[in-house]
Amino acid sequence: MPIEILAQTLVNGLFLGGIYALVAMGLTLIYGVMIIINFAHAEFLMIGMYVSFWAFTLFGIHPYMAIILATVILFLFGALIQRGLIEPVLKAPLLNQILLTLGLSTLIMGLAQFFWRAEPRSILIPFASSSLRVGDLILNWPRLIAFIASIVLTIGLYFFLKKTKTGKAIRACSQNRVAAQLTGVNVRKIYMLTFGIGAALTGIAGVLISPNYPMTPTIGQTFSITAFVVVVLGTMGNFVGAFIGGLIIGVAEAFGGLYLGSDVRQVVSMGIFILVLLLRPQGLFGRMI
Amino acid sequence: MTTPQPTHSEQQSSSSITVRRSNWFRAILLDWDKTQLALSFLIILLIGLSPLFIDSPYLLGIVILTVLYAYVGLAWNIVGGFAGQLLIGHISFFAFGAYTTIVLLNHYHISPWLGIPAAMIPAALLGAFVALLTLRYGLKLDYFALFTLALMVVLGIVFSKIPFLGGAIGMWIPFRGESWAMMSFVSKVPYLYIALLLLTIGVVVHYAVYRSKLGKYMIAIREDEAAAAALGVNISKYKTIALCLTAALSGMGGGFYVVYTTFVEPPLVFGLPFNVELLVAPIIGGRGTIVGPILGALLNKPVVEMVRGAFSAERAGTTLIIYGSLLMFFMLFLPRGVTGLLEKPHQKLRSYLLRKLESEKE
Repeated sequence: MPIEILAQTLVNGLFLGGIYALVAMGLTLIYGVMIIINFAHAEFLMIGMYVSFWAFTLFGIHPYMAIILATVILFLFGALIQRGLIEPVLKAPLLNQILLTLGLSTLIMGLAQFFWRAEPRSILIPFASSSLRVGDLILNWPRLIAFIASIVLTIGLYFFLKKTKTGKAIRACSQNRVAAQLTGVNVRKIYMLTFGIGAALTGIAGVLISPNYPMTPTIGQTFSITAFVVVVLGTMGNFVGAFIGGLIIGVAEAFGGLYLGSDVRQVVSMGIFILVLLLRPQGLFGRMI
Repeated sequence: MTTPQPTHSEQQSSSSITVRRSNWFRAILLDWDKTQLALSFLIILLIGLSPLFIDSPYLLGIVILTVLYAYVGLAWNIVGGFAGQLLIGHISFFAFGAYTTIVLLNHYHISPWLGIPAAMIPAALLGAFVALLTLRYGLKLDYFALFTLALMVVLGIVFSKIPFLGGAIGMWIPFRGESWAMMSFVSKVPYLYIALLLLTIGVVVHYAVYRSKLGKYMIAIREDEAAAAALGVNISKYKTIALCLTAALSGMGGGFYVVYTTFVEPPLVFGLPFNVELLVAPIIGGRGTIVGPILGALLNKPVVEMVRGAFSAERAGTTLIIYGSLLMFFMLFLPRGVTGLLEKPHQKLRSYLLRKLESEKE
């Protein structure tokens, strides 16, 4: 196979992986702090995409301006979900938690189908298909921007968690809830904040991919299980691991698509997933946040 | 079922036969498990009478699916309720059964009367495979849940790539004319009785498992795996048995489903929405209980169909909204399900009966 195709596939994989990483980072952050498996997480991505779509269709707002809107909406939405739905089941059995978030995911998907109809929609702007040529490589602008944004957000989140007081409080809650409470951290507030941040990150991912992906109310399903693959691969609760895991899965899927056909590329990531679950369930990296 | 009960003063003086019958009835009422079992059979009996009142094929179709969902719910309950394993991607077993029956029928012209029971074998093998992998590598709790989901996705993609199984388009059963031998009917009533037969089998197996030592071991595993192991319960063995039983029963359900709907495709039977649909019944009915899956199916399927009937012309998604809301509502406010609600009134009834019994003795 010619080297250009391989290079192009690698680039496509990295770009896809950047999006996976963004979705997975929110999921892993929430898991790391609250130890809750959120099956509704990818619905935030779907909502982010629709925020971008409606902002563009109704008010002519450029998708990248809609990022601010999506961040605010999804942050509040996530914080409310945490307070109203997740907080009451934090001490419940694991199955109850999983079924609750599965129910939430089903409900959000159903509401989206009910109000926004099930057929695919897309944002029609010429910018979506513009691209940058570097030698033989074709870099699609929206995908390139999404990739850069995912790196910037990862670094930003890293410094937020390491350097700011709030970030340290989040990490404290993740390490030991009771001890954090004893040192004066308002744990319930931190939980809401964390859930909000996780939802907002995923919402931003949704806006970033909205120029490229036709959106349907079930698009979250496509990403949902992949997000879990990435999170487990990069160690649950480790968001730097989630970023690297996202890139690995993106590249693996791109090459899987190249060799096996694009409709079976998910088999590659699921195969990696099952192998990781079986052989190294603790993921590639140790737990750190 | 409820023969008029003679009062006690009468009982003592009247013939001994009435006394014995009343004791028999009371013995059931005093035992919560037996009460639930009796309730299950009562519901089966009432549903069996329903064709006398229902003519519309549409409504009969809803009744049939309600019965099927109750049956699959019972199947799930063995692993999910008794053994307490987080089997989320339960539908893979159902799908294996559906494909087995349709392949036997379409490719080999084997009647569903054989094909539906035969569906148990591949499904149980898949159950054994899942048990083997997850036990060998010690997957538990959330990892087990994710594994079953990932397996569902992988199998869906694999099945859509096999031409023998109809590929991505799936398979359908051409109409074979009215024929008992091939389980093909114009009317829906025979399908209802076949579904009820399945449900009866399900209720009996489910109850037998619950009352047996096997069931007690499973419950011990659910409550505290380490303690159960310390007491000498062979964890791996009983988890494997539970998974195989659940898988085999679900496989039969899938086999009946495909004969009844005459159609199967990978995105449907390996899809999360249908999976959630099948999970809802045992959850809202009360997992780990005897009658829970049946009550849960009675509660969700007719309601969902009514709402869908009212809206579906112009709007999609109503089914998902109801399933989602039901799951959330029950997890937040009634995690023990409908059966959990019934337990308290039953306790009151029981203490009332016991008091009566005391006064009788005096």
